Amino acid sequence: MIVDSLIVDRGVSAGDAWITVASENARDALSALKGDGYQLLVFLTCVDHLADQSRDWPARYELLYQLRNLETREQLRVRAFVDGDPPRIDSVSDLFPPANWDERETYDMFGIVFTGHPDLTRILMPDDWVGHPLRRDYPVGGEVVEFSEEHEAWRTAPEKA
Amino acid sequence: MADGAGESVSSEIGQGITIAKTGEPGAFGGELLTINFGPHHPSTHGVLRLIVDLDGEQVRRLKPVIGYLHTGIEKQAEALRWQQVVVVTDRHDYLSPPINNLAYALAVERLLGVDVPPRAEALRVIMSELTRLSSHLVWLGTSGIELGASTMLMYCFRERDTILDMNEEISGFRMHTSYIRPGGVMADATPRFLEMLDRFIAKMPSNIDEYEDLLTMNPIFRSRTIGIGRLPAEDAKVLGATGPMLRGSGVAWDLRRSMPYSGYENYDFEVATSDLCDCYGRYLVRIKEMREAVKILRQALDRLPDGPVNIDDRKVLPPPREELETSMEAVIHHFKLFTEGYTVPPGDVYVAVESGRGENGCYVVSDGTHKPRRVKFRAASFVNLQPLERMAMNHMVADMVAIIGTADAVLGDVDR
Amino acid sequence: MGVEALAESLGQNVLTTTLAKLIGWGRGNSVWPLQFGLACCAIEMIHTATASVDIARFGSEAMRASPRQADMMIVSGRVSQKMAPILRTIYDQMPEPKWVISMGACASTGGVFNNYALLQGVDKIVPVDVYIPGCPPRPEDLLNALMILQERIKAQGITPRQ
Ligand code: SF4
Repeated sequence: MIVDSLIVDRGVSAGDAWITVASENARDALSALKGDGYQLLVFLTCVDHLADQSRDWPARYELLYQLRNLETREQLRVRAFVDGDPPRIDSVSDLFPPANWDERETYDMFGIVFTGHPDLTRILMPDDWVGHPLRRDYPVGGEVVEFSEEHEAWRTAPEKA
Repeated sequence: MADGAGESVSSEIGQGITIAKTGEPGAFGGELLTINFGPHHPSTHGVLRLIVDLDGEQVRRLKPVIGYLHTGIEKQAEALRWQQVVVVTDRHDYLSPPINNLAYALAVERLLGVDVPPRAEALRVIMSELTRLSSHLVWLGTSGIELGASTMLMYCFRERDTILDMNEEISGFRMHTSYIRPGGVMADATPRFLEMLDRFIAKMPSNIDEYEDLLTMNPIFRSRTIGIGRLPAEDAKVLGATGPMLRGSGVAWDLRRSMPYSGYENYDFEVATSDLCDCYGRYLVRIKEMREAVKILRQALDRLPDGPVNIDDRKVLPPPREELETSMEAVIHHFKLFTEGYTVPPGDVYVAVESGRGENGCYVVSDGTHKPRRVKFRAASFVNLQPLERMAMNHMVADMVAIIGTADAVLGDVDR
Repeated sequence: MGVEALAESLGQNVLTTTLAKLIGWGRGNSVWPLQFGLACCAIEMIHTATASVDIARFGSEAMRASPRQADMMIVSGRVSQKMAPILRTIYDQMPEPKWVISMGACASTGGVFNNYALLQGVDKIVPVDVYIPGCPPRPEDLLNALMILQERIKAQGITPRQ
C-alpha cells in the first residue's frame, strides 16, 4: 500500500491522474504502487523545466513514471523533481524491467544519474558524445538555414530557452 | 568531462561497450565466443546491432545495441510549432505514420479540450487500420524473405502498393501522410478513395488466404518458427511487451479494446491471441489481425457518417480556401496560424494508441506557448526489443533471424 | 564459302566498338546495389524491387548484402552521427569503381531534421553521384536516378574516377 505520507501533491491533468513524490522516496513509492497492482511501467521520462515561466517548478528536472494497472486499467503518473549536477535519483530497473532502457535513455538525453542501475551507459548517442541533447540548454544544432524564421531561435541560448 | 556529469560519477557510468574475452568455458571445453551482428547486416531488420555470446552455435548472451538511427525527433519537436510536429511524428515509426499522427493529435486535442466530429473519427479509424495492414504486410514480406520465402515479399508489397495508392489519393502522399492532425484530418475522403477502399476490402481476404496458403502449413516455415523464441505470458507482461508480442503469448490486451479511443468501442472485432508464445504464434496473431483490420474497415466504410471532418475552430485550423477570398477575418486567422501557430493551455497528457507493433504513445507537455515543451514518444519497438535476449537464449544463431523478425522492431521507432 | 559471303556473314554477326564503350555498357547494365536500408526511404527502395516497379528491368535487382559484391550504394534514409563512421567503412570496403545514390531528403541534406543527431547530407562523408529529392522519393524516382547513373557510367571510360 502506498502511504499518504509519501505523496506530496496529487491532481489530474487533462484527464490523467498524477501524484508527486519526493525524489528520495520515489523508489519506495513506486515499489508500494507496484504492490497495489500497478504492474506495468509504461514509460519513464524526464522533462527539463529550465526557464519555464508558465508554472512554479520546484526543481529543474521532472521525472515521470507512467504506471498502469493491467486489471483495472487505471493509470497513474508519478512525478519526482530533482536538481543538482548531476541530478540523481534511485533506479527502479529491478522493480520494472522495462525501466532499464528507459533509464539509460533518460541518462543519455538528460544526464540524470540513476543510482543502482546495472549498466548506465549511453544508449542512443555514440559513447563518446559530449552533452545531453534533450536538455533545454543544448542547442538543436544542425545547420543554419538562411532566411528561415527559426534560424536564430534554433541556436537557443540557455537564458531564452 | 564537459557533459556536466563531473568526475565523481565516472565510476557509476560505464565506458560504453567493451567486448571482453569471456574466458568462460563452453559445453565442449572451448570458450564462449563473442560475435557482433550489424548494424549493417541483412537479417537485422534495419540498423540494429547485436552483440552475442555464442557457445558453439547456441546463444548464451545477447545485447542489442541501438541508436544507429537516432534522429533527434523529440528535440526537433520542441523546435517546431504545434501543428508542424505532425510532420515529424510521421517519421519515427515509419511503417505506421497515421497511427503516430493519431497519438499526437489525440494528445493535443485532450490538452485543448476539443472533440473531433464523427466523420473525422471514422476516417481516422480507416487510416489506422489501413496502416496496420500495410505495416503487417511489410513485416510479413520481409520476414518471409528472411526465412527463405521470397515470394511473400512480392505478394505482400503488391497489396501494400494498393494501400499506398489509397494514401496518395486521400492525402497526396504515399507514405508519410500527415493526414491526421490536431483538430481533425487533412481533407475529406474523395469518392475515388472510398471506391478504392471498397474494392480493396472486397479483395483483401482472398489475398490473406493466399499468404496463408504459402506459409501457414509450409513445413519449412513451421519448423523454423514453431517452438522458436518462446516468450511465456508472465515474462511478456513483466518485460512490458505490447502488441502482437504480448498477444502472441496469449494475453488479450489490445488498447483498441482495453482503453478505446477514436470510437473503437463501436466496432465489432476480435482481439487476436495465440497461446503458442513462439514465433509461429506471433505470425498467427498478425495474420488474424489483418483479417480483423479488414472487418473494421468494412464496418467503418459502411457506417461512415456525413458531416464536417474538422473542428470549427479558426484558432487551431486554417479557414477553408473559399472563405479566404471573401472574408478579411479568415485572412487574418490564416496569417496568424501560419506565422505564429496556436497556443495550447499548460499541462501534460499521455495518450496511447495501438499500432502494428504495440502501444505507441505520445506524452506531451505544454508550457502555454506556441511550441511544445516536451514531446515524448513511447515507442512500442523500443520496449519490445528488450525481451530479445529472453527469447533468443539457447537458440541457434540461425533462429535469431526468425526471432528478430517476429519481434518486428522498426528501428526508426526504437531510436527516434 | 566465297570471300564475299564470308564478309557478309561477318557483317551480320560481328560488332566493332571500343573497349571503353563495351565495358561501360556492361557496367551500366548490371549495377548491383548494396542493400543499405536505413529508414523510411528503404521501404520505398524495397518497393522499387518488387513487381509493380521492378528494378530488374534495369539490371539492378541483385541487392547485395556484402559491400564486396556491390557496385553502387543507395543511401536510403537518414544517416545519424552514430551511423556515419560505419557508412564510411562500408563505402571503403566496396571495390572500385563504385557509385553512390543519395536517396531522399534526409540522405541528401538532412531533410526535415535539421538537428544535432543527423548528418546534414551524406555527401559530407562519401562522394555522391546522384541525389534524389523527396521524403520518401517515389520508387519511380529511384528508377530515374538509376537511369541517370547508367547514362553516366556508360559515358565514363575504363577508369571512371581518376
Ligand atoms: S527523406 Fe523522409 S522518408 Fe527518407 S529517410 Fe528521411 S524522413 Fe524518411
